[in-house]
Parts: sequence; C-alpha cells; structure tokens
Amino acid sequence: MDLFLALELIALALSGLLIWHSARTRGAAFTCMFFIGGAFLGLVRENVVAQIAALNLYSYNPATFHLWVGAAPLILMVFWSYTIYLALTFSEVIAAGNLISGRRRVWVILLAMLFMASYACLNEAFSSIYPMVLWKFKPALTIWGGTPAMVLWGYAGMALIFLPALLVIFKLRIRTIYRVMIFCASVIVMIPLHLLWIAIFRLVTSAIG
Amino acid sequence: MNSRDKTPNFFIREIPFIVLLVFWVIYAGIEIIRSRLDILASIIPTGLFIIAYVVVRLAAKEQKGRG
Repeated sequence: MDLFLALELIALALSGLLIWHSARTRGAAFTCMFFIGGAFLGLVRENVVAQIAALNLYSYNPATFHLWVGAAPLILMVFWSYTIYLALTFSEVIAAGNLISGRRRVWVILLAMLFMASYACLNEAFSSIYPMVLWKFKPALTIWGGTPAMVLWGYAGMALIFLPALLVIFKLRIRTIYRVMIFCASVIVMIPLHLLWIAIFRLVTSAIG
Repeated sequence: MNSRDKTPNFFIREIPFIVLLVFWVIYAGIEIIRSRLDILASIIPTGLFIIAYVVVRLAAKEQKGRG
C-alpha cells in the first residue's frame, strides 16, 4: 500500500476517535455541529480554492492524494475539524478554560490559534516530502521546506473564525438539527472571511518583500 | 443515562493527546527515515504543546493528590 494512502486512512480513523471523544465529553449537539459543520466547511472551502482560478492560491496534487470529493481530497472532510478540535482541546487543558462555559474563553481562542499555526508548521513542512498542493504563486515569505508563511497565518485564522461562529450558533435556543444546519450554512460567511484574512497577510508580505 | 453523566476513563479523556502524539511521531519518523533533517525542526512547535499539555495534566494530578 502507498504510504500516503495509509496516512490518509490513519487520519480518517483517528478523526473517528476524536468524534467519539467529543460525543463522550461534550455531548451529541456539540459533536454534530463541530464535525458536520467542519466537514462541510472543509469540502466547500477547498473546492472553492482549487477551482476558482481568480483566487490564485493552490490546487491539490492528484499525484499525492487518492480519495477525492470534487477538486478536494476526501481527507479535507475531516482535516479542519480534526485540527481545530485538537487545538480546542489542548488549549482548554493548558489554559484551564472552556469555550462553551466562557471560562478564559479569549485565552482558549488565542491559544487555539497558536496551536493551529504550530500544526501548520508540522503539516506543511511535511508536504515538501509529499507535495500536497500545487502553488499558483511565488510566496514572499517561506518557512521549513518552502512552505509559505501565509499558511501558518491561514491555519490560525481558521480557528479564529470557526470557534466563535460555533459558539454563537451553539448558544442559540433552537433544536440541534437547526443549529447544525445554520452552522453548515454559515460557511457562506466563514469562507470569504478566511480568504480575506489570507489576502491581508499576502498583501502585507508582498508589499514588504 | 446520558453518556456525559459518567466521568470518562483515562483512555477516552486522553484521546486528543494520543491522536496528536501518533501523528507527531509518524511525521517525525518519516522525516528522519527520508533524511529530511532540514525540516525536522518543524515538529518543535507542536512538540512544545505536547510538553505543556503533559505538564498541566501532571500538575493537576499532583494537586489532586495533595488535596
């Protein structure tokens, strides 16, 4: 078996463990919102980025990924929720806070952003071994393995957008099914916000560079 | 009974830690096997989070033991 395919399958299995953890420790409503919304966000966002040439960002490498949904690898169905869930859990433990109850909420979100940037270092440097994306531009700033520094900023921004959106919709006093549907629909707002967040960094670094 | 009514056992409680650790070891291992020592430092930031998590958990356990 191809090693990268094995990694994709391991990531899917480990995501299943995270869903189980969430269901046992945070409840069904939170888990449905987080992971269904995260899957929706991942697949829609990555298809938009890969297919809209005007964004001039990247497309996914067909030589690396094996399982696809449109122009996005299947793994993107779990990738954002997988990384943000790790970021949230680690941040809550380290900051002794809780996103939902509000204890040290700002610290939890800031630490989650830092975690996401750290995870980006790990994941994106690794992609110089298995090229995951085909960049359409020459970045002004790069880190290990030629990863654009913009990616670290992008990961952090995803936590900054995803977690408050989840919190606001989770607190609505309506049935879980409606909260999940509203959270899924909110990708229409989250994706442009995230692309704007990235565009700001790109503008600033290209002006400096 | 709601599944959240019971305190989860050690394995369930530490699933996120185990998941990150597994991926961290896989990434580091492949980078070493492929002789990509130039990018090995990229594991440091998440490594610091892993260490911080363990320190906080151990400190909480010690405090609980004293209490």
